[in-house]
Amino acid sequence: MTVRSSQLFLLGGTFASLAHAAPVDFASEIRPIFEQHCYSCHGPEKQKSGLRLDIKAAAMKGGEEHGPNIVPGKVEQSPLLNFVKGLEKDLLMPPKGKKLTEMEITLLGRWIEEGAFWPEGIDHAKLEDRREHWSLQPLAAASPPVVRLSNWARVGLDRFVLARLEKEGLSPSPEAERGAWLRRVSFDLTGLPPSPQEVEAFAQDQLPGAYERVVDALLASPRHGEHWGQHWLDVVRYADTHGFEVNTERPNAWPYRDYVIRALNSDLPYDQFVREQISGDAVGKDAATGFLVTASVLLPGQIGQDEASKRLARQDALDEIVVNTSQTFLGLSVGCARCHDHKFDAISARDYYAMQAFFAGVEYKDRDLKTPEAELAKAEAVKLAAEILELDRKLAFYAPLAKSGVKRLPVNSKMNTDRFAPVHTRSVRFSIEATNSLEPCLDELEIFNTSGVNVALAAAGASVSASGQVVVADRHDLRHVNDGQYGNSRSWISNEKGKGWVAVEFAESQEIERVVWGRDREEKFKDRLATSYKIEVAEGEGRWRLVADSSDRESFVENKAKAALFSTAGLPENEVRSASLLLAEKKALEAKQVAANNAQKVFAGLFRKPDKIHLLNRGDPEQPKEEIPPGVLSALGAVQLSVDAPEQERRVALANWIADPKNPLTPRVIVNRIWQGHFGTGLVETPSDFGRMGMRPSHPELLDWLAQEFLRSGWSMKQLHKQIVLSATYRQSSKDNAQGAARDSDSRLLWRFPPRRMDAENIRDAILAVSGNLDLRMYGRGFNLFNQRGGLSGFVPVETFSGEGLRRMIYAHKVRREPEAVFGAFDCPDAGLSTSRRRESTTPIQALNLFNSRFTLEQSEAFAARVKKEAGEDIARQVGKAYLLALGRGPSREELAEACSVCGAEGASVLCRALLNSNEFLFLP
Amino acid sequence: MPSSNSELLSLPGHVLMDRRRFLSNSASALGSIALTNLLGGDGLLASHPVPAINAAQPYAPRPSHFPAKAKNVVVIFCAGAVSQLETWDYKPELVKWDDKPLPGGPAVTFQGPAGNLARPQYEFRQHGKTGKWVSDLIPNLAELTDDIAFVQSLTSKSNTHGPAENFLSTGFNLDGFPSLGAWTTYALGSENDNLPAYVSIPDPRGVPQNGANNWGPGFLPAAFQGTTMSSLAPIRHLSAGVSKEADVAAKALLQRMNARHLEQNPGNGKLAARIASYELAARMQLSVPEISDLSTEPEHVLRAYGATDTQSKDKAAFARNCILARRLIEKGVRFVQLFNGAYASGGKLNWDGHNALKEQYDVHANILDQPAAALIQDLKQRGLLEETLVVWCTEFGRMPFFQKGAKGRDHNPDGFTCWMTGAGVKGGVSHGETDELGRKAVKDVHPLYDFNATILHLLGLDHERLTFEHNGVQRRLTSVEGNVIREILL
Repeated sequence: MTVRSSQLFLLGGTFASLAHAAPVDFASEIRPIFEQHCYSCHGPEKQKSGLRLDIKAAAMKGGEEHGPNIVPGKVEQSPLLNFVKGLEKDLLMPPKGKKLTEMEITLLGRWIEEGAFWPEGIDHAKLEDRREHWSLQPLAAASPPVVRLSNWARVGLDRFVLARLEKEGLSPSPEAERGAWLRRVSFDLTGLPPSPQEVEAFAQDQLPGAYERVVDALLASPRHGEHWGQHWLDVVRYADTHGFEVNTERPNAWPYRDYVIRALNSDLPYDQFVREQISGDAVGKDAATGFLVTASVLLPGQIGQDEASKRLARQDALDEIVVNTSQTFLGLSVGCARCHDHKFDAISARDYYAMQAFFAGVEYKDRDLKTPEAELAKAEAVKLAAEILELDRKLAFYAPLAKSGVKRLPVNSKMNTDRFAPVHTRSVRFSIEATNSLEPCLDELEIFNTSGVNVALAAAGASVSASGQVVVADRHDLRHVNDGQYGNSRSWISNEKGKGWVAVEFAESQEIERVVWGRDREEKFKDRLATSYKIEVAEGEGRWRLVADSSDRESFVENKAKAALFSTAGLPENEVRSASLLLAEKKALEAKQVAANNAQKVFAGLFRKPDKIHLLNRGDPEQPKEEIPPGVLSALGAVQLSVDAPEQERRVALANWIADPKNPLTPRVIVNRIWQGHFGTGLVETPSDFGRMGMRPSHPELLDWLAQEFLRSGWSMKQLHKQIVLSATYRQSSKDNAQGAARDSDSRLLWRFPPRRMDAENIRDAILAVSGNLDLRMYGRGFNLFNQRGGLSGFVPVETFSGEGLRRMIYAHKVRREPEAVFGAFDCPDAGLSTSRRRESTTPIQALNLFNSRFTLEQSEAFAARVKKEAGEDIARQVGKAYLLALGRGPSREELAEACSVCGAEGASVLCRALLNSNEFLFLP
Repeated sequence: MPSSNSELLSLPGHVLMDRRRFLSNSASALGSIALTNLLGGDGLLASHPVPAINAAQPYAPRPSHFPAKAKNVVVIFCAGAVSQLETWDYKPELVKWDDKPLPGGPAVTFQGPAGNLARPQYEFRQHGKTGKWVSDLIPNLAELTDDIAFVQSLTSKSNTHGPAENFLSTGFNLDGFPSLGAWTTYALGSENDNLPAYVSIPDPRGVPQNGANNWGPGFLPAAFQGTTMSSLAPIRHLSAGVSKEADVAAKALLQRMNARHLEQNPGNGKLAARIASYELAARMQLSVPEISDLSTEPEHVLRAYGATDTQSKDKAAFARNCILARRLIEKGVRFVQLFNGAYASGGKLNWDGHNALKEQYDVHANILDQPAAALIQDLKQRGLLEETLVVWCTEFGRMPFFQKGAKGRDHNPDGFTCWMTGAGVKGGVSHGETDELGRKAVKDVHPLYDFNATILHLLGLDHERLTFEHNGVQRRLTSVEGNVIREILL
């Protein structure tokens, strides 16, 4: 280095510096300048613009924008010097505080001129090799340590916990009472309280293995997947709307929610769970890839029309997939590297875009399901469409008469009927005088005689003529207008904008009474619609008589939310009745049609040819740099595909890499999430950040040991749950003690079971379970929490629930950003961002909601009625029953007396309302 | 550590307080971290100091980072993007260029093809000592310019209402981040714990485009989300609608149940906090109806705000919202957000003037102008403006040209105006400029980050130090950006 810098000095130096005999000394002359002026922003604490001046290697590399900032020997090319001199506009350094003195600037200049000599080994800090970070290392071999209190431990994990407690001079708490453990484990594994029967049975079961039998039953219960599914959906920020301003309904998202519940209930090995969510389409698990597109997204109409807006929206959408995947499975905040190399972790911007390239062919769209059920639904939808059209024809009989003085419905693009008094004629002319756009188009013109036969059909011998036409092969042709086939691809188009006519001549004179016409009965096109028209019949050579026109119709309004297709205005009563029956039938069929159409689709990403992914300067889509092929994080692996790798292959490759048992992050992250679910806090307190900014594990050996046990069990989540809830650690009492509180008030070291409040969903579910109203139907489209399932705003909460509204809350239609009116306030995530851990807060709004809402009051009434039904008229028995149902125990003598007097005076629902609000009800014991 | 009003706390509250004292006196290594943890302030790195929140009193006042100029904030949020060219940003050049194409202008903007430049749709005249040019659209607000600091060179990171309202309210385009009001009350609590610390008052015509995102807590504890109430819709669940006897009996029974349970589980701060939350709820049940009852306001006040207007019920309702805002501020509520304009509606219900700008702005300005101006004057008269910051903002501006075939302007995130007045703000200042046609900010350009950083600064908060750890990132209102706009500060 010395040699090199002296060479530079000779080449680049100016003579001014030669006048000084002694070269500038970094440690005594330069570092103090840096310390005084620079380190507050470019030192150990902060590294603004990525520049750090207290470590040689970092300082010489320079910041993101201007690096290298120090070019040895080249003063003029060293941005650092220009900044302190204020030569760059807006970039005078330091921006605040005292400027460098002339002396200091000269000294700095000389130092650079002389080669910026910075001796090795004098820095106070050392650059950490980010790849050496603990979570990136292979799982360490560990075995349960030796402990003093050896008979306390029940399972392997207990010895790790105990060893740490002993090291800190702490001792474990006594075992919780059986009843407390049962309540705790029931809530913890299923999100519901134990029933009085379960409480009784466990109290009676004094045989060995009683605890294990309870756990096995709870894990086998379908309620388990419903409860733990919610934890997972929190992390992936699942919702049933698209988010952002318009927050439109996402009607086919729920199959993914059901997939998660099924996967957890069936103890799907976690590695497979990972693979299916990234590339389930490759193995026939279509709903699983709903994972990829759980984020908020701007729909096409909400993105600017300009290309830059579109590029940015696409980048945002891809970013969400990268963030979701890396955070959920790997516990890494890869998203931070979108604009610059990660400030703290070994993730470069290049890594980020290489990750993005795996998903470059994923669109936020519904995908057609290829299951047998979906095929059936498709056939069903076709059948229903035909049946609905047939009903429309029948309804046409009841169309109000034209020119009768009754205002008729506006025209619509699907199908219109003009009915008139029966008239004899050989031919009919349909003349169009205006359209909503372009040249008019008719897909079919039907003319019915008084016997109900369409006499306009070519097959019936009718012939057609027209003012003109545009012929497009297999689509538009005059002969399509009476070929008996519907839709745009069997239609006539005029050759004139806004006008044109079609005339039909029958084989013989007919007594006709109805003309039925439309733009597109298949409802794909809404343009080219005749908005002003007249229908005439021939009365002899060259004379036409008007029988119907658009003048008595309401005027046509484009994009009117839902145009009515039928009106009974002006009909005699008996016809109103017949028409109403048909309409009801039609409505029912249409509901089935919606269901059949939805059953063919799942919002699980549409896969297409991948976009080219470029490294983007500062994350700006307008500043693309080189193209980046799909590749895994360079600090962790070497899997890389070519830039033209096919779409599915990309995702499969990524999934295999994440789910590889050798990936050190994947098992650690999930084991930690499960631990957190049980104890409220993970061994790593930051479950979605195992990076350098995250917390280090409280018990590193335990984490690695559990991860290895997990792999040995074949990635079985249920095995892990079982191990944890049967442990001595988990069985401890949650009671406080002075010794523990003094040393570790958060119980991070688990000297007791850390008490916690139930989550929002569990509170609602538990209330319903206790009131006897819980509806245990599983799966399917979510029930409503509001008067609408999506939309801009104005969500009016449902206050009184019945029927499917009494199902578990995981089956609610989750509207992004709209907190549920009662339970939303209990820290229920709004699905905007990933919630890896719910923050438990306590607010007066929660108290108002839980104490005063219709929901609580109605369920208190139901609870009281249930108690009365099950316990009879005796008030003491009612109180006993209420306590048992709500708290899993009978009342004390004092409680009984108190409750009896209240129930006697005000009725049992008062007691029930208090119980449902009580701390004992809401906290895990 | 807030303990000044500990005498107000019930027995369980004292248990909590005693425990906290006990902990802070202990020599525990983990104790100091644990203290911040009572309200879910978890995952915190020791190097990031965070507000110490007492779970039993989440709205208790907390100290700012440095002495604050402003104690409270009222934000008047005009949803839909108010055109700077029809309000505060006087562009005489645009008159000359009326109906001519913008040389080198974009062919396509957010909603479609661009049309010709269009002159401001209202006349401008000078106001006050500074001679600030303001349009005739807003004559009452125009009278206040000597007290206002305008920032005329703001930029947004999105040209779409949803992400841009997110950006204005939370500092990020994406959904899910905490709002300015949530950050503020998280940091500072409130001066009145009988009322929510943060109140959001929706426009009588409906909630703004981005709905609850504008007052959401994001990943901050739920205690800090805005509580919505307005002169038309009170807080939900304030009462149960059961007989008074049954209500009192249930409350008393619950209190005894919880007290007994706490006795059996001594030292559990979460239990004590829940008990305290019911006490606070009970106080809110009394104080909220009282504050919403405008019948005690004298006639001349109602008239001054326009609350008696019979021509426009929307104006009268917005005026009542403005009076409500003043009453909340009077009572020490920390953060009040007052919305003017509802959701997307082709410009009918908010300031999104794409097609018929003048026609629609006549309506909207009539609703905004008199009530908002009256609010500021009322605060000033009562001496409240010395401690209260009033902010007027909108998510972005509008283009100097009309859209093709329309009489309205498209979205423009590249240069627009917001302003503030009151505590700590220099009056009669117009900072920053757009180009002579108002297309882009060109002088002293400020991304909205700077505007938000300035608001926090006035509240005595350093936007770089007000952080919260979420999924591994120390999040801030201003992301990794933000410079306080010192030119508009006293």
